[in-house]
Amino acid sequence: MTAIVAFDQDCRSRNCYDLDSVRADFPILSRTVYDKPLRFLDNGASAQKPRAVIDAIKNSYTSEYANVHRGAHFLSGAATEAYEGVREKVASLLNASSPDTIVFTKNVTEAINLVAFSWAETFLDAGDEIVITEMEHHANIVPWQILKERKGLILRIAPVEDDGRFDLDRFAAILNDHTKLVSVPHVSNVLGTVVPIAEVTRLAKEKGACVLIDGAQGIVHQAVDVQALGCDFYAFTGHKLYGPTGIGVLYGKTERLVSMPPWQGGGDMIETVSFNGSVYAEPPMRFEAGTPPFVQAIGLGAAIDYVQGIGIDAIDAHEQYLRDYAFDALRDVPDVRLIGEDPTKAAIMSFIVDGIHSMDVGAVLDRQGLAVRVGHHCAQPLMARMGVEATVRASMALYNTTEEIDALAAGIRHAQKLLG
Amino acid sequence: MLWQRESAMPRNCWGKSRMDLSTYETYAETLEELDDEMRFEYILDIAKKKRAKPFPEEAMDDAHLMHGCLSKVWILHDEQAGRHYFRGHSDAAIVEGLVAVMTDSFSGLTTGELAQIKLDHVRRLNLGALTTQRQVGMMAMLKHIQKLAGARAGIQAA
Repeated sequence: MTAIVAFDQDCRSRNCYDLDSVRADFPILSRTVYDKPLRFLDNGASAQKPRAVIDAIKNSYTSEYANVHRGAHFLSGAATEAYEGVREKVASLLNASSPDTIVFTKNVTEAINLVAFSWAETFLDAGDEIVITEMEHHANIVPWQILKERKGLILRIAPVEDDGRFDLDRFAAILNDHTKLVSVPHVSNVLGTVVPIAEVTRLAKEKGACVLIDGAQGIVHQAVDVQALGCDFYAFTGHKLYGPTGIGVLYGKTERLVSMPPWQGGGDMIETVSFNGSVYAEPPMRFEAGTPPFVQAIGLGAAIDYVQGIGIDAIDAHEQYLRDYAFDALRDVPDVRLIGEDPTKAAIMSFIVDGIHSMDVGAVLDRQGLAVRVGHHCAQPLMARMGVEATVRASMALYNTTEEIDALAAGIRHAQKLLG
Repeated sequence: MLWQRESAMPRNCWGKSRMDLSTYETYAETLEELDDEMRFEYILDIAKKKRAKPFPEEAMDDAHLMHGCLSKVWILHDEQAGRHYFRGHSDAAIVEGLVAVMTDSFSGLTTGELAQIKLDHVRRLNLGALTTQRQVGMMAMLKHIQKLAGARAGIQAA
């Protein structure tokens, strides 16, 4: 674990924490790519893993591995204790009222689908309205489209401004007495825009609507308190939070979860089974059919410990510093157009370079050891809204440095020289 | 065909009378001699030369679009005397160069000959050294032109 050094409130320097020490916690960051230092700026897709997470997974397989919940032996007990211990950690991370409000899924996509095909399938009827935004990831569009077709629902889209800001007034104007569900991102995976989820939840609640927050990009950058927010559901994924792939979380208010039928059947989610019928388990087990990804959950637990060890507020402050630095650095490069310019956004910088295809920019940056993402980022409606087919996206994490942002700006200039 | 009227195909793609991979061999040998950085610039240079002869705008439509690419790729295909000729275009420069390597290399072959082109032929071009995604794209490109030529059934890794 890294040592924490002086944390100043503004974090205008890089001394939120000892960045060199933090970087040393991530083995992959010391490797080279094309004989150049790896500069990993694709954290919005998936973050790198600290040794603590890698060790926790390794330890699980080498010392404590057995299936959870029903084994009548020592190892199963140890694995179960570790797995359920992570549920408590997640509840604490979200300030949820109970570990029983935490359902493990494989990712945010599965979490949203769970809400769609259990809660919404059960409680929404023809003519009911679901509100999402123009900045959604496909995972928060397609499940609702499927349900819309199946049940005759109405899907309403809250707009974003030209600069990527979320317009609360226009969102509020969409809400009405037929609004039954509001499902919005905490942070846009393309724009970096931070949606005012507390206000969104308050407005939705005034209409009696259920609220689901897609926190895939949110919890990575900011502390979340689901009780203070008052949202019904909050989903996030482990691999963007420095944990393993294959483990996600759906927080659900107790009254919501207990009202929902199972959406997948199998072992672990039942109390009793006979050929005359089955009695389902209480939440969260009702929604965890089959052997769960418990090793991945244990890795997620280590990731939560790691992040909390540094401090989410300190990470947030560092990333805000990187964001401001990146705004300046990218605006300094001629012919770069930023997509998403809300000054208070998360450190996710999408941009295009006039006259050069984003894929070419990405390929040249790749040759410089700069890992960025190129494409529509699973947000094609947003691309259409912003008038672009694809962007280059540099998304920062707790270990990124201003030097890497300088390298990004230099890499774009190099691409302009090669391809312009 | 649109591109024949413009005589845009490389000269050495025409008039082949037997399994002639000389263009492919030239590309492969050149690429083998170059280091990673030079290979990258070489592909960009090919793209620039290709773009000097514009791809027919009317062919940049859905019918000629190769689906599944991050950038847009259009492929024209023609068959003459049992031999297949390809020409491609992309809105991304690097992809333009890679498409050119593929279409130049494997134009002028019969259906049976195209079916003999294996994924190892693509691997030998070592374009994966540009980026892994490009390698995957090149494999997809081989399958696409084989499909256009009706040689899709012949695809298998060597």
